[in-house]
Amino acid sequence: MTYGTTDMTDNKAPAVEVRNLAKHYGDFVALKNVNVSIAAGEYFVLLGPSGGGKTTLLRTLGGFHKPTRGEILLHGRNVGHLPPDKRPTTMVFQAYALFPHMTVTQNVGYGLKVAGLSKARIAEKVDYALEQVGLTQFTHRKPHELSGGQQQRVQLARAIVLDRDILLLDEPLAALDAQLRKDMCLELKHLQEKVGITFIHVTHNQEEAMTVADRIALIANGDLVEYGRARDIYRAPQKSFTASFVGENNMLKGKVAQSNGASIVVDVAGAMLQVDKRDLDVSDGQEVTLSIRSECVSLDRANGSAAASDGLSMIGTYDESVYLGLTTSHLAHLPDGTEMVSRVIAGSDDTPPEAGAPVRLSWKPSDIRLHVE
Amino acid sequence: MADLSSHAVSGGHPVDADKAPWRAKLVPWVFRAPLIFMVMFFAIPMAMTVVFSVFERTMFWMEPGFTLFSYENFFFSARLTNFLSSMKYSLISVVICFVLGFPIAVFVRKSIPQVAQHRVVLLFILPFMVSEIIRVFALRPVLQRNGLVNSTLMELGLIDEPITALLYSHTGVVIGEVLSFLPFIVFSGFLAMEAVPKYIFEVCDDLGVGPWRRFKDVILPLAAPGIFAGSVFIFVNGLGVALLPNILGGAGAVNAGLIATQAITALDFPLAMAVSAIMMATLLSLLWIGHKLFDLTKILTPLS
Repeated sequence: MTYGTTDMTDNKAPAVEVRNLAKHYGDFVALKNVNVSIAAGEYFVLLGPSGGGKTTLLRTLGGFHKPTRGEILLHGRNVGHLPPDKRPTTMVFQAYALFPHMTVTQNVGYGLKVAGLSKARIAEKVDYALEQVGLTQFTHRKPHELSGGQQQRVQLARAIVLDRDILLLDEPLAALDAQLRKDMCLELKHLQEKVGITFIHVTHNQEEAMTVADRIALIANGDLVEYGRARDIYRAPQKSFTASFVGENNMLKGKVAQSNGASIVVDVAGAMLQVDKRDLDVSDGQEVTLSIRSECVSLDRANGSAAASDGLSMIGTYDESVYLGLTTSHLAHLPDGTEMVSRVIAGSDDTPPEAGAPVRLSWKPSDIRLHVE
Repeated sequence: MADLSSHAVSGGHPVDADKAPWRAKLVPWVFRAPLIFMVMFFAIPMAMTVVFSVFERTMFWMEPGFTLFSYENFFFSARLTNFLSSMKYSLISVVICFVLGFPIAVFVRKSIPQVAQHRVVLLFILPFMVSEIIRVFALRPVLQRNGLVNSTLMELGLIDEPITALLYSHTGVVIGEVLSFLPFIVFSGFLAMEAVPKYIFEVCDDLGVGPWRRFKDVILPLAAPGIFAGSVFIFVNGLGVALLPNILGGAGAVNAGLIATQAITALDFPLAMAVSAIMMATLLSLLWIGHKLFDLTKILTPLS
């Protein structure tokens, strides 16, 4: 049962390599053509909206679904034909996945018992796993006597006790309340650092993803949209989907007015905006999307209705402010109706402009990004 | 609700002032009425059964008194043997129903999409659309000497002589019982599988738990209360439904229900009452044992 590093596995190969993976359910395409490589010992998060295919990808890695096309290599070994228990993976489910009639110890040890380990060896490994997840006092309780967070820890212990080196987590914190989810996020991250195996974690929660991940992959409509370090995904999204899903971005649609040079000009609702071309392929007249994170937009009362001409600001109409505690969002709209949000750290006692007043929305050159797809 | 709001709007004129208390008084009776019904027509007759069983037999009815003659009549005659053998064959029916029916319940839970599960289970109600007498009677042309089973087997050359033990025998009764009661184990098995958490089969796949272990270690302990309830239901019906041995049984192939019916035909009412009382005692002790073993209250407890 334990998955050695010897037979047919390559130590240098990535933990997971997915090539041209597709999964169809009849006419429904759950995964289109996914390619991704995950290094051994990495904490990798699959982030995306519900129904986007992230869970399908995870389950296909675990052997619970057969791919329609493409291949999966785990440590360099093609596992397309193997059932879940013969793969170096193990799964942690959302909830409702413990054996209700067994105690914590029995739940954690059951996989080892099935594998035929001796009682003494099972007890030793179970103790160690429970210590790793901090559940040593609850060993004789049954699942219904545990809180949601504790139940998920039991699942974690049951998974790591198997000594497989890729742990798949399918929305493991989705059933927990917000505060507990935050705490468990950090614990998951620390657990991964302690045990040193590869974690692949599916979630639709951005904050959860950013907390735990070494790298994040965005998955939507069966496509792997883009992947990279959490920081890069947040600060410098390549695709407009990423910009709209991660963080709070203002999305501006416009036409390219002038495409020569490192910096191009885009016509958004009559304003000529400058944006870094980023070596993207654009031509005059092409429809493009621009994104600016809401915390990078500053909002001032416009003196006069003169249109801004610096290429880094626009004139809009103020709508309202929303107090969110740590931050306050100021909402405005552009002449073409596009909503704009400017988010600032709350604490200023300045009275916001009255609704309908003209305001100037501006940003730094490095804050606006061009997306062509 | 509409009434209340219109009152508020019109300034709360006490138009229905005496109507509302009248309605309020009626509400508790919605719950009391069935209770009274059950006491009058269920609890009291059950108690009377025990009382009547110790009465003296007269020519056409019985008279108050205290005698254990009926019990003696039951326990020291062929009736006890027949009762015990009908228990044995009911148990066989339970086992056959379980072996045939429970896998269906597991299959429906595991492999049918959730939205379609209830419809599939409802299919098992279809046989009940036909009167039980007709259903059971229809077994005769199938099982009899020159019936469907025998003629098919003879034409296939598998047997030379028709199998006569299929009808008017314990075998016939068991076949009838399985036919009649199989849906109950499917229903109770289906409900029992509710106690099995959503992802448990996938966890088993992940841990490499084989089918037999999966059944023995996971499904059986979780579904035990439901399975037991379904089994008791079948067992008790196997003992009590007189119709089946009446149509399909023969010499010796009777059950407690038929013994009681025969006693009534012979105008021996105290004996019929005694047989019923013995059946009640059997059922209650079975439920008590089951409760001690599996905690039957769990059947109605959803997953926490």
